[in-house]
Amino acid sequence: MSLVDWIVLIATLGSLIAYGVWKSRRDQTMDGYLLGNRSLAWYQVGLSVMATQASAITFLSAPGQAYTDGMRFVQFYFGLPLAMIVISVTFIPMFHRLKVYTAYEFLENRFDLRTRTFTSLLFLIPRFLSTGITIYAPSLILSTLLNWNIVWTNLFMGGLVIIYTTSGGVRAVSYTHVQQMLIVFIGMALAGWMVVRLLPPEVGFTDTLRLAGKLGKLNAINWKFDLNDRYNVWSGLIGGFFLQLSYFGTDQSQVGRYISGESVGESRLGLLMNGILKIPMQFLILLVGALVFVFYQYHEPPLSFNAAERARVEQVPAYNALAEEHRQLATQKSREITALHTALERNDESTATVARNQIQATDVRIDATRSQVSDLIKKAGGDANDTNYIFLHFVINQLPVGLVGLLIAVIFVASMGSTASALNSLTSTFVVDIYRRMLRPTASERHYVQFSRGITVVWGVLCVMVAMFANRLGSMIEAVNILGSLFYGTILGIFLVAFYFKKLGATATFWAAVGAELLVVLFWRLDLMAFLWLNLLGCGLVIGLAWIIQRLLPEPDVS
Amino acid sequence: MNAPETRPDGLPPFVRSWRQLYGLVIASLVAVIAFLAWFTAYFQ
Repeated sequence: MSLVDWIVLIATLGSLIAYGVWKSRRDQTMDGYLLGNRSLAWYQVGLSVMATQASAITFLSAPGQAYTDGMRFVQFYFGLPLAMIVISVTFIPMFHRLKVYTAYEFLENRFDLRTRTFTSLLFLIPRFLSTGITIYAPSLILSTLLNWNIVWTNLFMGGLVIIYTTSGGVRAVSYTHVQQMLIVFIGMALAGWMVVRLLPPEVGFTDTLRLAGKLGKLNAINWKFDLNDRYNVWSGLIGGFFLQLSYFGTDQSQVGRYISGESVGESRLGLLMNGILKIPMQFLILLVGALVFVFYQYHEPPLSFNAAERARVEQVPAYNALAEEHRQLATQKSREITALHTALERNDESTATVARNQIQATDVRIDATRSQVSDLIKKAGGDANDTNYIFLHFVINQLPVGLVGLLIAVIFVASMGSTASALNSLTSTFVVDIYRRMLRPTASERHYVQFSRGITVVWGVLCVMVAMFANRLGSMIEAVNILGSLFYGTILGIFLVAFYFKKLGATATFWAAVGAELLVVLFWRLDLMAFLWLNLLGCGLVIGLAWIIQRLLPEPDVS
Repeated sequence: MNAPETRPDGLPPFVRSWRQLYGLVIASLVAVIAFLAWFTAYFQ
C-alpha cells in the first residue's frame, strides 16, 4: 500500500475510534451504556441495524462468492422484509412496553428463570463464535498487506475493537454506524465503477453484464424448490424468513439496536428501512463480485488468490509447469471472451453459443490446473480455499492509490461496527441475564457499568481466540450463517411460543427447547438438509414438542 | 371545526397507517423479486 492509502486508512479508523470514545464519555448508567438512554431516531436505528449485519465478511466474502458461485446468494435475504414486518408488529411493542435491556428478560416474565438463562446461553454461544469470525476477516487483510503472521494481526484487530467497544457504549456504537454505512456505500460504489473502467475500452457496463450472464454469474433467481439447494427463492423466502426473524427478533446484537429507538414508531421505521434496503444493497455487493469475475476473464487471475498460500508452493517444481499451463489457458480464454463479446454485440446467438461452449471447456481445464495447485497447497499444510481473498486481491492489485486505502477502510469499519454491536450484546446479555439476575442483584449502577466494561474485555479476548481458528471454516459468510442456523431456530421457537401460544407453559417450553436443540445439531451432523432449513426445523420442533409435552404433562401454572 | 387527526407515533407522512406501510414493504419485495427474475432471464 502507498503512503496515501495508509493516510486514508489511518485517518478513517482514527476518527471513528476517537468519535466513539468521545460519544461514550457521558454514559455512566446501565441505561446509557447498554441502551443509549433509548434516544435514537429511525434512520440511526436503521443504519445501525444494517451496519451490525453487514460485517467485513459481507464485503470480503460476498463478492468472492459471486465470483465462484454467481449471484444466487441474494435470495438468502428474501425473507428479511417479511421478518421485519412480524418483528414490528409483535416484538417491538412488547420490548418497549416492558422496557427490557435484553430480549431474554421478557422470557422470565412469560416462563421462568431457567428458560431465560437457557435462551441466553443459546444466544451467547453462536454469537461469540461468529464474532471471532468477524474479527478474523479484517485481520486477514492486514496479514496479506503487511505480510504479518495472522496470529499477530488477529491480536491487533481484536485489541483495536476491544478498546473501541469497551470505552464506547451503545450510543457510540450506533452513532458511528451512521458514518460507517456512508463510507461503505461510497467505497463499494467506487469499486464497482472502477471494475468497469478497468475492462477493455470497447466493453461497456451492459456488455460486462451480458458476459457475466452468459457465463452463469447473474443467476440471481432460481424458482426450483429443492430442500438440498442452499439458495433458491423458496429457501430464501421460507428458511430465510425464519433465520432473519430469529436473528432480528431474538439476537441481542440486533435487539439492542432497535430497542434503543426513541419510541415504538422510530424502532419500527428503522427496521422497515432495513427491510427495504438490504436486498438491493446485497445485490450491488454481489454484482461487484460478478464484475470482478468478468475482469479476470480478460486478465490472468492468480492460481490462488491467497498470496501467502501461493508463496508456499511457488518453489515446488510442479508449480512452475502448472503456472505456465495456466498462463496459456488464460490467454486462450481471453481470446474466447473477446469472440463471445463480438458475437453478443452482433446479436449472433449461434456464434455466442459456440464461444460460450469453448469458454466452458477452457474453464474445465483451468479448474483442473487450479485444483492441482490446491492439492499442492494442501500437501504443504496450507489452506486451499481462496474465496475470501478474491475481492481483496483485486482491490490491492488493481485499484488506484487512495481508493485502495478507502476500500480497506470500508472493510475495517464494517468489521468494527458489527464487532462492536456483538461485543456490546454479549456484555449486556451476560451482565443483565446472568450476573445481575443470578450472581449480584443489588450492586450500584456504577458497579454494573464498570463490570460491563471489564466483561467486554473478557468477551473480546475469547472472540480473538476463536479468530485464530477461523481460517479452517471455508467461506466465512456461510460459516456465520450456518452457526446462526444451528441455534436461532430454537431461540425463535421459544419466542414464538411466548408470543402466540399462551396455553403452553414454562416446563413444556424449556424441555421442548432442549430436545429441539439436540435434534437440530443431530440433523446438521447427519447433513439431512441445507442449513437454512435448520431454522424452520428448530422453530417447528420447539412448538411441536412443547405442545406434546404440555398434553402429556399438564402444568398447573399454565395461564 | 374538525379536531386534528391523531397519527400513530413515528408514522411517515405518505401513509395513513402502519398496515399500509407494511403493505408497501411487501409490494417492494415483490417488485425486487420481479426485477431479479427479469435480470436473470435477460442476461442469461
